[in-house]
This record gives sequence, C-alpha cells and structure tokens, in this order.
Amino acid sequence: MTAIAGHTTAPPRMAASSRQRIIPALLLMPCLAWISFFFLLPLALMCWRSFAAKGYSFAAYTVLFTSPLYTKVMLTTVKTASIATVIALILAYPVAYVLTISGGFRRALILTFVFIPYWVDIIVRTFSWLILLGDNGLINKLLMATGIVHTPLELLYNSFSVLIAMVQILLPLTIIILFGAMLRIDRTLIAAAKIHGAGSWQAFRTVFFPLSLPGVYGAGLLVFVLSLGFYVTPALLGSPRQTMIAQTIMVEASELLDWGQASAAGLVLLIITTLIAAIYNRYFSLDRLWGGSDA
Amino acid sequence: MNANADRLILGTAVAAIILYLIFPVIVVLAISFSSGNFLNFPPPGFSLRWYRAIAGDPEWVSAFIVTLKLGGLTALFATLLGVPAAFALVRYIIPAKALLSALILCALVTPPIVTAISTYLFFVPLGLDNSIVGLACAHAVSGMPFVVINTAASLRGTDRNLERAAIIHGAHPLWAVVRVTLPIIAPGIVIGAVLAFVHSAHELLIATFVLGGVGKPVTVKIWSDMQATSDPTIAAASAILIGLAILTLATVVSAQALARRRST
Repeated sequence: MTAIAGHTTAPPRMAASSRQRIIPALLLMPCLAWISFFFLLPLALMCWRSFAAKGYSFAAYTVLFTSPLYTKVMLTTVKTASIATVIALILAYPVAYVLTISGGFRRALILTFVFIPYWVDIIVRTFSWLILLGDNGLINKLLMATGIVHTPLELLYNSFSVLIAMVQILLPLTIIILFGAMLRIDRTLIAAAKIHGAGSWQAFRTVFFPLSLPGVYGAGLLVFVLSLGFYVTPALLGSPRQTMIAQTIMVEASELLDWGQASAAGLVLLIITTLIAAIYNRYFSLDRLWGGSDA
Repeated sequence: MNANADRLILGTAVAAIILYLIFPVIVVLAISFSSGNFLNFPPPGFSLRWYRAIAGDPEWVSAFIVTLKLGGLTALFATLLGVPAAFALVRYIIPAKALLSALILCALVTPPIVTAISTYLFFVPLGLDNSIVGLACAHAVSGMPFVVINTAASLRGTDRNLERAAIIHGAHPLWAVVRVTLPIIAPGIVIGAVLAFVHSAHELLIATFVLGGVGKPVTVKIWSDMQATSDPTIAAASAILIGLAILTLATVVSAQALARRRST
C-alpha cells in the first residue's frame, strides 16, 4: 500500500486530503452496495433460514453433524478434492516451469493451449469424458484394439472418471497461478548456482524448487477451495455412492425441497471455504492483484 | 545428468499434459459435425445436420437468445460497477483495502451451489425469479472481479502524466479521465467485460434455480437435455458455445493488439 502512496498522491494539501477520502468512497460505493445487496444479504438470509425453517432450532445442524450420510459425503468431498488438487499441482508444475524458462513464441503457444479449455464450459468438458470413457469410447476401443484388455474396462461412474475430468478442469487455473508465482522468482539465483558449479538439475532442485514452494502451496489452497464446490463433474461422471456435498445440497433443495437442511449444509460449506480463502489471503494477499503489495 | 535428455523428457511431459487439456474440446467439436445418430468418437462422417437441428428448434434458438441477453446485461452491470472500483483501488489510499479486495473477490471462491440457493431464496419473495435481469444482477457479482482485475492492471500500466498534462492545460479532472485515461485503458475494460460475459454464459447452478422453468439459458438447456437424450445436438450446442468463446477470445486478442499499438 505504501508503494501506491508513493506514486499516486499529490503533494499533501488540506483541501486535497478531504477530496482524497470522498472520491474513492463514491467510486467504491455502487460496487460495494451491489455486492452487499445481491450477495451478502442473500447469504445472511440463508443463514437465518437454516434456523428458522426448523422452528428456530439447531435441528438442521444436528442432522448435519450426526447423520452418517453427511459424514460420508463430507469425507468423500474432502478426499476427492484433495486428490484432485495434488494431481493438478503435479501436472501443472512442469508446464508452468517450461512457461517460465521459455520465452516469446513458445511461451505464447503454450499459453494459448492452456487457455483454450478455460474458455470452454465445464459441462461441455465433462460431457466429453462421458463419450471418451464409455464402453464404446475411444479409450476402451484403443485398449481392446491393441489387445491390452479383452472386455471393456469400467472407466465411467467411479472416482477415476470424476478425477480425470476434475483435474482437466482445474489445470488451466493451476498452471496460471504457478506460472505467476514462478515469474517472481529471481532467476539470477539459478545462474549464480550454475556459476558455482551446480548442474542444471542440482540448480533446479536446490534453488528453484524450494523458492517455488510458496507458490505451490498458494495454488493448492485456491484449487482445493474450488474443488470442494464441484457439482457438474461428480453428478455426471460419479457413482451415487461417492456423492459430493454440492450434489447433496442440490438434492435437498430441488428434490426434497428441504430448504432449511440445504441452507444449513450450504452454510457449513461456505464457512469451510471462506476459512481456507482467508488463510490464502493472509499469506498470498489478494490485493496484489491491483498492485497492493508489490507494485 | 544429460541436459538434452532432461529437456526431451520435460518437453514430452508438457506435450502430453497439453494434449490431455485440449483433447476433450476436440472431441466435442468433432462430434458436433457427426453424420451419425449417436455420440461416437471418432464420428462416422461429416455433416451439419445437428447445427441445422438447433437452428430449426425454437427452444434452442430462444436458449441462445436468453444467454446473449443475460451475458450482455451481466457484462454491462459488471463494467459499470467494476471500473470505478478499480480506479479507487489503484489510485487512492483506502482504509481496509485488503478487506475490500477480499469482499470484491470472494464471490469467485464461494461454492456455486451456496450462491445458487441463497440467491434463489432471496429472489422468490422479491419476484426476481424467472427474470433475466434478476439473474444478471446475481451474475454481475461474480463477473465484477474480472472487470476490476483487468481494469486495475491497465490502469497501473498507464502514464498518469498524460492526464496531468490535460489538467494543466485547463481540462476538468473528470473530463481528463474520460477523454485521456479511459481510451488508454479501454482494452483492459473490454477484456474484463468479455470475461464477465463468458462467466455468465457458463454459469449453471444459479441459472438453474432462477431460470430453470421457462426461458432457460443454453447451459441449463444442455444440462437438462443431457439427462434425457444422447444425440449430437448437445455437442453442436456446446460447439456453438465454444465458437462464441473463440469469438470473444479473438475480441480480447485484437483489443490487446490495439493496446500495444497505442502504447508504442
């Protein structure tokens, strides 16, 4: 924030200083009012609803924390989200690294490929795996044609199909975050290690990789938060035995019409994701986006 | 360790990962041009019959019109709200800036199902359910961060002295912003607006609750048809969405090119 003060404020004058307070307030007012009315107020009402719908009691929450169904669903959700996050990080790392060390045309080309799926609807990308992984799908056809298997493998409606689609959806964002973090690493340190006799693998392992770890943790937190809320992918490609929390909330709301229970489960999910996002914000401050901390 | 072998392994790995990223997109595009009746990849032959089916089906046509209206309104709201906010965040010292930033961005990390049920419960008593404008108001909340981020990035990259020069030469400060700074940062604003549009066109859950009955947007129609039928119409509708995305991507790229030409 001090960096901003350095290059934006006019010389301190009394008249200017009160204007310095009013103008930004006027500029931010519509946006904040909008967010409060169309986002925060509905969330507050949902919170109230979770108590009111059950005769002003914690009944909905008692169900949440005691029923074996919700325990199982929460465990599945956390497990699936964790595995998807780890795989996405492992796959994104080499791509982000290559983006960092290559320049010009090659970097632009890879970035284009990374961004193409980002512009394609999640439903569409999920749907594509439904076609590829089916009994008559391309993967099974290839496996049978090459004689690796003789009967089609059951690739759909299990955690494999959910994970393969989830990771594909999460990858572009993971790559972009990691790439951003790697760009901030001072590359002269690697050159210095090489001058002092390190091989390129050793320079990577002892200098670049440790320096990139904070970026990996940051990307991991953000991607994990997003994977907790996945709905389309597990609903289309998963088995009913591995339901994730967003699907359960959807069923409570749209099929059972139990808005109190749906609201309570939604609120618990909201608290969990907000806490993780707050941890992210604490260590990888979000306002860096508008040059808050490193302009 | 051999440096060339390292590079080869790394290159192969990256190529494989990129193939994994774009293959699903290729599959859907290929099937949309299929001449067959089923969702087979590779398709048996080429035809445009599924595109004709969409163009001839009033339900699909209306779904696309709803999506265009919805995305347009979302982009408009997000831009009108986001651009002033970006000016405030980049140019002024604001108390609790970190908290404000988090507030603007938090819609992006909130699970969509939570936003969906809370918005629906809020909209029903207000009579905003089944309303395109209402849904656009909700979509604008999560579309706004895209506008704020991109506008802020362009704003930080501009030379404020141009604006100061206009003021010294007698322009009103507000006029100087409108005539000097806004044209310079316009490409950033356009990118943000386009991203807000795409965000709205892809959003499923809030849309299902608010516009799930009559007048469905494309994503909701694709999703509900997917449960019932399995012919390549869905793939063709998806491909049109991809086409829309590519069109908007082209807009972004040309906006960036324009920006670069202006700045040199």
